[in-house]
Amino acid sequence: MSKRPLVSLIDDDEWLTAQYVRLLESGGFEARSVTHALDGIDAIDRLRPSVIVLDMFMPGPNGMVLLHEIRSHSDLAQIPIILCTNSASDLDPKSIAAYGVRAILDKTTMKPEDVLTKVRALT
Amino acid sequence: MEEVKEVAVQNGVALLESVPLFITAAHELKSPLALIRQLALTLEDSSCSAEDRNRVARQIVLTSERALRLTTDLTKTVRLENSLFDLEPLNPVSICEEVAEELQPLYRARGRKLRVSPRSRPLLGLANRDLLRRILLGFADNALHYVSGEAEVVVSARSYNQGEMIRLGVRDYGPALPTKVWRRLESSIGTPVMPLHTRPNSSGLGIYIAGQFAEAMHAEIGAIRHQDGATFYVDISASTQTRLL
Repeated sequence: MSKRPLVSLIDDDEWLTAQYVRLLESGGFEARSVTHALDGIDAIDRLRPSVIVLDMFMPGPNGMVLLHEIRSHSDLAQIPIILCTNSASDLDPKSIAAYGVRAILDKTTMKPEDVLTKVRALT
Repeated sequence: MEEVKEVAVQNGVALLESVPLFITAAHELKSPLALIRQLALTLEDSSCSAEDRNRVARQIVLTSERALRLTTDLTKTVRLENSLFDLEPLNPVSICEEVAEELQPLYRARGRKLRVSPRSRPLLGLANRDLLRRILLGFADNALHYVSGEAEVVVSARSYNQGEMIRLGVRDYGPALPTKVWRRLESSIGTPVMPLHTRPNSSGLGIYIAGQFAEAMHAEIGAIRHQDGATFYVDISASTQTRLL
């Protein structure tokens, strides 16, 4: 069993998550990614990650559905969440904070290593 | 596979009537542009291996091509009103094969499968080759996002209505949502399930474009909702030349 902090990435773009996984693992984390929110719920339940990196818009249930689901389970609700989305400018950080969102990354302006920086700050 | 719902898509107009087209288009283009940017930035990372760089460069090219297809389609949509489109007898199965061949590199790079359903007999339909190709390319491109794992996307052509009409369709197998799970999730946020033509994460722009292209050549688009995905299709008339033979 690895002692490295585990990060769950939930994003429908596997090309992007492959790069984030590579970055996070080179930064000392263990990282696992899934491309659907439903798989994300299972992964979070099974892996109990230290941090969740979540996209908002995915096929099937979107990120908001997953945020509701995580929040409804007391044992999962404390896991810090980083939203990583193209639509960051449409989100209200105050209202989204109630769902355990600790940081928002804007894919249109961020650098890939910002994922690593934010994850480090939360672990 | 059980078909649970079929809808006629009224040229996609209703989907976009309340949202200016340019806003929807900008939203749709944001996703591939943001991806290209993120991928390009990873090329600057010195820890990226040569193999990784080659793969990422290929991903950038394929993503650019997707975005360019969308911009070309949008441009063409705007110019439809002033254009006349020649209709010609076409072999729909050949069109399906062309579409599958064009998208194979993208599907392969995404680790997905795209195939053409084997035909039982030759068919000829009356359509504009370019517009028909673009409609199917759009459907198949969209389907890529709704298929996962080993499931494949199937492009097919068949005649119906006693050989009067030809239906070219793209069948995907996602989102694979068990009804029970979907209802539970749905009730947890108190919002209704989105109708088929606005599948989750879809602005409807692709359907709008397909509808416009279909209308320009007197064809119709529609969709069939399955329990494990959907078929988006375009109906064209069978060539009268075929019927005379």
